[in-house]
Amino acid sequence: MIWIGDVLVSKGEGGVYNERTLGEARVWDPYRSKLAALYYLGKGVELTPDMCVLYLGAANGTTVSHVADYTNTVYAVEFAPRPMQDLLEVAHRRNNIVPIMADATRPELYTPLVEAVDLLYQDVAQPDQAAITIRNSVFLKRGGTLILMLKTRSVDIRKNPAEVFEETLALLSSGGLTPIESLWLEPYHHDHAAIVCTKPRD
Amino acid sequence: MTYMPAYWFGDVEGGSCTPFFGDANQIAARIRMIRTSMDSFTPLSWEQAVSCGFCQNRSEYLTRLREVCFLTAEREIRAQYAGKDTELLHMVRTLDEMDTVINLLSERAMEWYQIRQPTFSRKYRRTPTHLMVRKIREKSRGALGSVAGQIESLSLARTDLAKEVSSRANRVLPNTSALIGGLVAARLMAQAGGLVPLSRMPASTIQVLGAKTALFAHIRTKTPSPKHGIIFQHRRVHNAPRAVRGKVSRVLAGKLAIAARLDQYRGVLVPEFIEQAQAKIDATGHFSHEQKTGGDAP
Repeated sequence: MIWIGDVLVSKGEGGVYNERTLGEARVWDPYRSKLAALYYLGKGVELTPDMCVLYLGAANGTTVSHVADYTNTVYAVEFAPRPMQDLLEVAHRRNNIVPIMADATRPELYTPLVEAVDLLYQDVAQPDQAAITIRNSVFLKRGGTLILMLKTRSVDIRKNPAEVFEETLALLSSGGLTPIESLWLEPYHHDHAAIVCTKPRD
Repeated sequence: MTYMPAYWFGDVEGGSCTPFFGDANQIAARIRMIRTSMDSFTPLSWEQAVSCGFCQNRSEYLTRLREVCFLTAEREIRAQYAGKDTELLHMVRTLDEMDTVINLLSERAMEWYQIRQPTFSRKYRRTPTHLMVRKIREKSRGALGSVAGQIESLSLARTDLAKEVSSRANRVLPNTSALIGGLVAARLMAQAGGLVPLSRMPASTIQVLGAKTALFAHIRTKTPSPKHGIIFQHRRVHNAPRAVRGKVSRVLAGKLAIAARLDQYRGVLVPEFIEQAQAKIDATGHFSHEQKTGGDAP
């Protein structure tokens, strides 16, 4: 990851969402992006120029634009039309983003489009986040990484966030993914946790 | 049937691959037809497309893939916005926000006016707000006068918008509007997030739409459950005697749930249904009322 002093940046065409720039570099704000928060907390995996990424819950394409700056190709899946409009605008200007308008809970509808990926990034804020991840893990290469952003308030508002967190970890393990690290994204995002897993090689 | 992986660029079987020839439109149509079984699924690799003869290299592969994806997404967005309810949703929300803004500005202008007129007080006056605003405009010079003028023109725009909302609701939600009026029908739809979600809601949810705070207070603590949300704005509910108000709103919500489904799946007014529903709702209010007074006698 590229740091200028203690500021996380990515190198690419600026002005996507009026982000601050330092010279040629675009500042990646941990308060706006959960992935940036993960890096600020010293965790996560290094994004490299040879990586292919499947990004579920691409929303307006703000975080997607930074991920695309670092990696080879990003398959950005988003379902809602309004954010998709913005995502298309971002994807027009960055030719390594493949925008896919589809429901992440039904990966069988985009299987003809998505290649095997090195990183599966999931930020969909749905009650069955773990199940969605497991269903999409078929796209993940063996030895590849999963980063799951868990919005505990979306899973079950009346449950204790820590409980939701534990349940999700258990579900992921039983779905064939090996958790390697997990943490809360405090102080950048409340009631959000990040879970990093790998898909075993054997 | 043997399983053959089909990808956007062609069909792959064993070591051999049959490329698909066609423009982005035809590829998009092909993708819609592909059914993949997730059990034995292997993700594609772009090299297959090259060995297939579909494209020369990765950059060509991505260019063509992106072309197809943009086409599909743009088409899908257009299709989703084509729903007649999408614009109505924004009209209702704009209307509610205009109400808030007009009220805030009017209150503020009146406070300001009172400072300029130390002898003026609103006590014991029954001047409606909009007449007060007109008075402020007529009697004040400078910024206050022009702010009051702006409030008045905002109110005019608000009236126009309300008319449009209700006439559009009559078209988009014919049955729901016939039961509770266009404006309230539109508000219900906006609260639900669209006609599709509204048509899928159980009556009990429709009954308390717009009473979120009371509902969650009820779930968390032991406060009584809310009897009505937005549907309170309908005269049959707020004019009903207190004792049967809950009952009326329950019956009304039940009929609204049916009406919303008619609106979604039939899209036209169903007069027989409306007639029966109206009778049922009216009967609830009256009958219970008489029964109650009758029951009190012995």
